[in-house]
Amino acid sequence: METETKTSAAFRFLQKLPIRLTLDNNEKIKKRGKSKKTNKKLAERTHILECANNHSESEEEEEEEVLVEKKNVDIYGEVGNRAPNEFEKIDKLTTLSVYFAWFMLFVFAHIREYVTRFGFVKDLSSKENKKMKNFVPLFSDFEAFYQRNCYIKVRDVFERPICSVPGATVNLVDRVSHDGNWTYEYPGTKTNVINVGSYNYLGFAQSSGPCADASAKSIDEEGLSCCTTVHESGRSVSQAKLESLVAEFLGVEDAICFSMGFATNSMNAPCLVDKHSLIISDKYNHASLILGCRLSGASTKVFEHNDMDSLERILRDAIAYGNPKTHRPYKKILIIVEGIYSMEGSICNLPGIIALKKKYKAYLYLDEAHSIGAMGKTGKGVVEYWGCDPKDVDILMGTFTKSFGAAGGYIAGSKRTIDHLRVASPTGYYSSPMSPPIAQQIYTSMSIIMGKDGTNDGASRIERLARNSHYFRMKLKQNGFIVYGSNDSPVVPMLIYYPTMCGFYGREMLKKRIGCVVVSFPATHMTEGRVRFCISAAHTKEQLDYVLEAVDELGSISRSKFSKQSHVYKNAKIEW
Amino acid sequence: MVFLSIMFGFEFSWFHYSLEAILIATLIFMLMKSRKQKKEKLSKRLTEKQKDELIAEWEPEPLVPETPQDHPVLNPKFADGKMTKEVSIDGKQYLNLASTNFLSFIGLKRIEERAKSTIFKYGVGSCGPRGFYGTVDVHLDLEKELANFMGCEEAVLYSYGFATVSSAIPAYAKKGDIIFVDEGVNFAIQKGLQASRSRIEFFKHNDMEDLERLLKEQDQRDQKDLKKAKNIRRFIVVEGLYVNHADLCPLSKIIEFKWKYKVRVFIDESWSFGVIGKTGRGQLNYFIFCLLFTKPALINYFDT
Repeated sequence: METETKTSAAFRFLQKLPIRLTLDNNEKIKKRGKSKKTNKKLAERTHILECANNHSESEEEEEEEVLVEKKNVDIYGEVGNRAPNEFEKIDKLTTLSVYFAWFMLFVFAHIREYVTRFGFVKDLSSKENKKMKNFVPLFSDFEAFYQRNCYIKVRDVFERPICSVPGATVNLVDRVSHDGNWTYEYPGTKTNVINVGSYNYLGFAQSSGPCADASAKSIDEEGLSCCTTVHESGRSVSQAKLESLVAEFLGVEDAICFSMGFATNSMNAPCLVDKHSLIISDKYNHASLILGCRLSGASTKVFEHNDMDSLERILRDAIAYGNPKTHRPYKKILIIVEGIYSMEGSICNLPGIIALKKKYKAYLYLDEAHSIGAMGKTGKGVVEYWGCDPKDVDILMGTFTKSFGAAGGYIAGSKRTIDHLRVASPTGYYSSPMSPPIAQQIYTSMSIIMGKDGTNDGASRIERLARNSHYFRMKLKQNGFIVYGSNDSPVVPMLIYYPTMCGFYGREMLKKRIGCVVVSFPATHMTEGRVRFCISAAHTKEQLDYVLEAVDELGSISRSKFSKQSHVYKNAKIEW
Repeated sequence: MVFLSIMFGFEFSWFHYSLEAILIATLIFMLMKSRKQKKEKLSKRLTEKQKDELIAEWEPEPLVPETPQDHPVLNPKFADGKMTKEVSIDGKQYLNLASTNFLSFIGLKRIEERAKSTIFKYGVGSCGPRGFYGTVDVHLDLEKELANFMGCEEAVLYSYGFATVSSAIPAYAKKGDIIFVDEGVNFAIQKGLQASRSRIEFFKHNDMEDLERLLKEQDQRDQKDLKKAKNIRRFIVVEGLYVNHADLCPLSKIIEFKWKYKVRVFIDESWSFGVIGKTGRGQLNYFIFCLLFTKPALINYFDT
């Protein structure tokens, strides 16, 4: 009896997911009513496990539902019923064994360290100039030790140089090392691999076609650089053109562009807040945002990843108690979140955050580095994905490095905000404007997304990306892997936990001609090593199937199918 | 208990033990109580209702102040076409003395053709960070070429000039380290110093006596605590050509200090690179530590 209720609950849960599942259940799925307003309910859906296990609550929810006339459905399903972020936990024993793997790694690293130090093995690490022997060493002990003995062993799976456009497939420069990855030799050959490592979400990394042509043409017209700072001789014409297009694309009053995405965050956050303000930042925010917080001098508090309760608690305490050092109330509070978290693959709970922001009169800074172009019906990022009003977000930030296949970043918002940034941002005074061919690439690709070229190329790219991401994620889950994040996100982190497995996956995947990214400590938590796939609209179904097959095979060999939820997906027929 | 007392060979006394037990119990009770009280004090300072009232009262400042609309930055003039030695603004020709096109490479056909062929081979963006399929073979070639040009072991490229020095400084200088900086350094360096969280000692612009005074002071401090001094990295940060002052730094003197006081030298050559020196190698006939860095932690590169 108990198992029966469990499975039926699981099926009900599956129906809620906006994926194309064909179940032999004819009952029409009730449409979920208005998007949930209370953050409490949203928080409930954040965890798949809670959803799967809390039958009683979900049943109640369904009873409350009312059929609404107006359907708000897009490629991801209904707006009010988005896929939850999943963070499947593994048992303590596995975690313990991951720590044991680290322990063994360090034991052997220490042995290697002593063997080299006493001269049994030739020390190949770089040395400082002999004359500088008396100087204080440049690197701390642990950092250098980790690099010398742990990172160097798997250095061949990182920093792989490419020698072609990073599209659906990419050419890697072959390299061999005869001294344990200290130096590389390049025999001059190359390997063509399926590229699931680059952030080429919409497939605009192209060496031919309208984008490349337009960029090349702009070199003739405007040259390669402006050789000046923004304020001295003005922005380049192409950048000015681009800024108005970005504002139009996002549906806000104004936008400002910068030539590097990282600096957009790190240099502009200090213009918005000062030491009398508070920044509330998500736990998994990107390094550039953290640097921006640090440079701004504001007090910083961190809330649990995507946890609305935690955010609300911090907001309440911050307003009620004020700055604990000066005992004065904060002058303003800025919440900083990302649209899609690049390492977790999760989508931020924007409606919840906007509700809290309005309730507590805080300001919201949304970093759409990964989500702009890649999410939403027309590529306008998580704001559109959640059906929110872009005017509710005070600062919309994003980068052009990912979906647009170029470089740089933007900040968009009300005219007042952007005017202030134009005047106050240090990048205006001290750095050069965007290079014209890069601005042109963004301009052309953004026009294609908006359908301004008269074709539906942009729309079909977005749809392909959504389908590819769903398909790839669901297949991985069906195969028994733990995949973090929301089903709609094109960033697919697959958990392999063991640091040693990173080297295994990196190398074996290359042997199968697949280029993927493996990440471990220090980029993630020590026990959460992962393989990250970035799905692109340029991938064909055959390519994805090939990757899935390869991953499945490696997963069986290395026993890295950790998921306990795969039975949920077992009989599901997943369509592309 | 009896067993224990026999074992350790002293007389067993009920009174003694019970007294001690009571004392210990009281001690633990007191400790627990005070800790609990402390916790309560922090969390129960305000009730939720009081908080709600405070929240309703709180009015934040606007996110940004109002900007006057006649600010020159908001009404820019655009130069049409390329920023060569002559520019046209609103159809009028001007002689360009504003841009930093020192060697007049803008508009050179040979370079532009190569740039175009690069776009047609690699696309415009690399769609990834250096660690994950963002390193293009062109980057590696350029790094090698740069290292050769500067006579160094290695070089590393950054995609944005402004971010280079501001992320290179905190890559080496950490909390607890000390950095001696010229007062006149540019904004990017100042941001880097801020990000490093090291102790910053400013010396007067191009005043080597002031720098030596600071170094001597540090030396005296080190003499007091030799053990601690062993872990404090020291850096001097200067610019080759100061953008705010338009003068060169006295590099030979700084290198003298480097060896005398065992300080590492950072030099930002964003303005002098390619401009100063017989072959455009910046200020450096002897070059120490340039803006173009090595991969942190893998290869240290020092040269004299």
